[in-house]
Amino acid sequence: MRNLNSCLIGAALVTMTAMPVMAQDRNVTIVLGEEVDVVDPCMSSRSNVGRVILHNVSETLTELGDQGDGLMPRLATAWEPVDEDTWRFTLRPDVQFSDGTAFDAEDVIYSIERTNSDQIVCDNSAKYFGGLEVSMEAIDDLTVEITTSPAQPILPLLLSGVTVVPTGTDASAFITEPVGTGPYIFSEWNIGQNIILTRNDNYWGETPEVESATYVFRSDAAVAAAMVETGEADIVPSMSVLDATNPATDFSYPNSETFFLRIDTDVAPLNDRRVREALNLAIDREAFQGTILAEGVIPATQIVPPSTLGWNPDLQVWPYDPERARALLEEARADGVDVDTEINLIGRSNNFPNVTEVMEVMLAMIQDAGFNASLRMYDVSEWEDFYSKPFAGDRGPQLVAAQHDNAKGDPVFTMFFKYHSEGLQGAVWDDRLDSLIDQATAATGDEREALWREAFRVVGEEIITDIPMFHMVGFARVSARINFQPTIATNSELQLAQITFN
Amino acid sequence: MKAFIGKRAISSVISLVGLIIMVFFLSRLTGDPTALYLPLDASIESRELFRELHGLNDSIWLQFWNYVQDIARLDFGDSIRRSRPALEVVLEAFPWTLLLAFITMILVTFFAVLIGSLAAFRAGGVFDRFTSTFSLIGSSAPDFWVAIVAIVIFAVQLRWLPTSGTGTIWHWILPITVLFIRPFGLILQVVRGSMISVLSSAYIKTARAKGVKTRPIIFVHALRNAMLPVITVIGDQAAAMLNGAVVVETIFGFPGIGKLMIDSILQRDFTVILAAIMVTALAIFIMNLLIDLAYTLLDPRIRY
Repeated sequence: MRNLNSCLIGAALVTMTAMPVMAQDRNVTIVLGEEVDVVDPCMSSRSNVGRVILHNVSETLTELGDQGDGLMPRLATAWEPVDEDTWRFTLRPDVQFSDGTAFDAEDVIYSIERTNSDQIVCDNSAKYFGGLEVSMEAIDDLTVEITTSPAQPILPLLLSGVTVVPTGTDASAFITEPVGTGPYIFSEWNIGQNIILTRNDNYWGETPEVESATYVFRSDAAVAAAMVETGEADIVPSMSVLDATNPATDFSYPNSETFFLRIDTDVAPLNDRRVREALNLAIDREAFQGTILAEGVIPATQIVPPSTLGWNPDLQVWPYDPERARALLEEARADGVDVDTEINLIGRSNNFPNVTEVMEVMLAMIQDAGFNASLRMYDVSEWEDFYSKPFAGDRGPQLVAAQHDNAKGDPVFTMFFKYHSEGLQGAVWDDRLDSLIDQATAATGDEREALWREAFRVVGEEIITDIPMFHMVGFARVSARINFQPTIATNSELQLAQITFN
Repeated sequence: MKAFIGKRAISSVISLVGLIIMVFFLSRLTGDPTALYLPLDASIESRELFRELHGLNDSIWLQFWNYVQDIARLDFGDSIRRSRPALEVVLEAFPWTLLLAFITMILVTFFAVLIGSLAAFRAGGVFDRFTSTFSLIGSSAPDFWVAIVAIVIFAVQLRWLPTSGTGTIWHWILPITVLFIRPFGLILQVVRGSMISVLSSAYIKTARAKGVKTRPIIFVHALRNAMLPVITVIGDQAAAMLNGAVVVETIFGFPGIGKLMIDSILQRDFTVILAAIMVTALAIFIMNLLIDLAYTLLDPRIRY
């Protein structure tokens, strides 16, 4: 028995001393929900790649502030339009890449060319540079002029999504050891296990408090949350509302996603405005808050968050009025609209926690208002066939549920795709709206804001193209030993330099 | 023996070819990976470029022909998702699963044979009833539930072990324990049943009559003959583990092949799915061959 006791005590002591994953001083461990399978800076608009790379390893010319600070300087210190289609950027002096080479205008040109290369498909290009021809010239080492066709009035904003790599970085394949100008160096990638960043002592900016960061991957959110509880990790940037059980460490933040149902305005009976209005009046939005969706979700009037330029404050959240919905439906029926045609609700499985339950409740509300409706949930690739063009000719009336993410502050990333006749995911065909979107895309300043505001009014009030539901929230768990405030940016980046220790 | 190995190899290759054809076409029926790879608001130009670079614009027959040619050169292509050779991705994950399965099966075999044999010797006794109940519970307990409960108790409450991950020997204890429970229960039942039948045979009674002690009767005379059905079940369980302990790998964040396969199926990463199937099929073929050889060692009457 004495031997057994000695063994147990010995084992316990070894256990306590041999758990290296325990977070240590000045080092942080971050738990991501899925394995980071590429680390190329040109993929940084993908959530988990961005959380590792963006503004930690690689930086951009401009940076969109997450506290309403607008566009801020990063590797560019200033920018100005030279003429209608050309912008001039002044670059930050005395900046070095982590491999010791100096940063200059050629690197900017090379990075933009590489992002748009036809040898690799970069998310950053796919998202921000579609249909844009770019030509560039280095005026001197620290000045670069960028010309676009067609003219792009928000080019500085677009460049907040383009990470800068040194000239000569392989442009024919994704790189596995990124080199950047950021406050951290990409030191280790143990594939499938972890990624380690260490502080860059030659960084041009302020020295951050965090000395090194280890990113680990856990797809089970309950395990990820438990890791912070046991001290094995410090931050879980995204987890389910069901695991956010500790008010001391769990924070909700607007995750920049807006949940909505797109109405196919081309197919009867959805081509009748009264029917589209009735659908909106049939939904009791309050019923979802704090029940099957988080308390903090905000009822939406448009599919972009209020911080977006041109967001229209005059649009009101649709009230819950099933009586009026039934009356509108009867009105349409009396005018010969075939309101009894079955309407299909198309949902995307695993789009967000409880999505199936949310869709089922919406179905019940729509049916309750007198609609003949059914629900089908699809895996993302099948769902995408319904969401993106070309649409099937015999598709029937559809309401496609989706989340849209526009944290860039300008509706241009939304409006053409979702509401232009030629937009990939647009289910509205309206010449006036097309013209408004075209004008707003080319406009600047107050005129741009006014045009977007009008476009949102046309979409939400005049035509009624959607059933806007909620601006969604995400949940993060943050260890009590550090200070880190999750914000709308946490959905796409996690700047280690913003972390301090208690 | 050589002829037997040759025959088994040929039949395995035929199965493998059938499997590859089936998986190739079935995986392509499930949708275009472009939608999953690129952001939803990716431009049409980017989508076209992606399809072009990955040969997704070619007809399915041309894609298949190219694939067959590549396989013949042992080139499995690049992972669509990871932009690295698919075989490299699979071979990074496979050792994790192999080691997990190997350690677990060694422990399972040792304990199941030991405890099952002892239980069978006094069938119906207290020890037998206890082990039978425990093994039935073990073989029917869902592993995702056992895994979560184990994490809550041993990592969160008691803080004895890390919740998940890799890095030290302590990280292996919970995953192996969770993986251990189900095959242990199953194999213990088979050992017990087989031993009860062997222990009641005439030659054991003779041995007892001649005064042979209990231990040699169980572990020398009876066990060897009782092991044939046990080896078959061990083989089945090990094969299932080589295909990946998906639940355990997912919950404990183990970068094994089961999780890789599931992720690749969800992401339509065709090249990785096919490379993973080839590698695991080869491993299972080798393991089955070893089991067949084990039969001949245990029972010299078996000849191939």
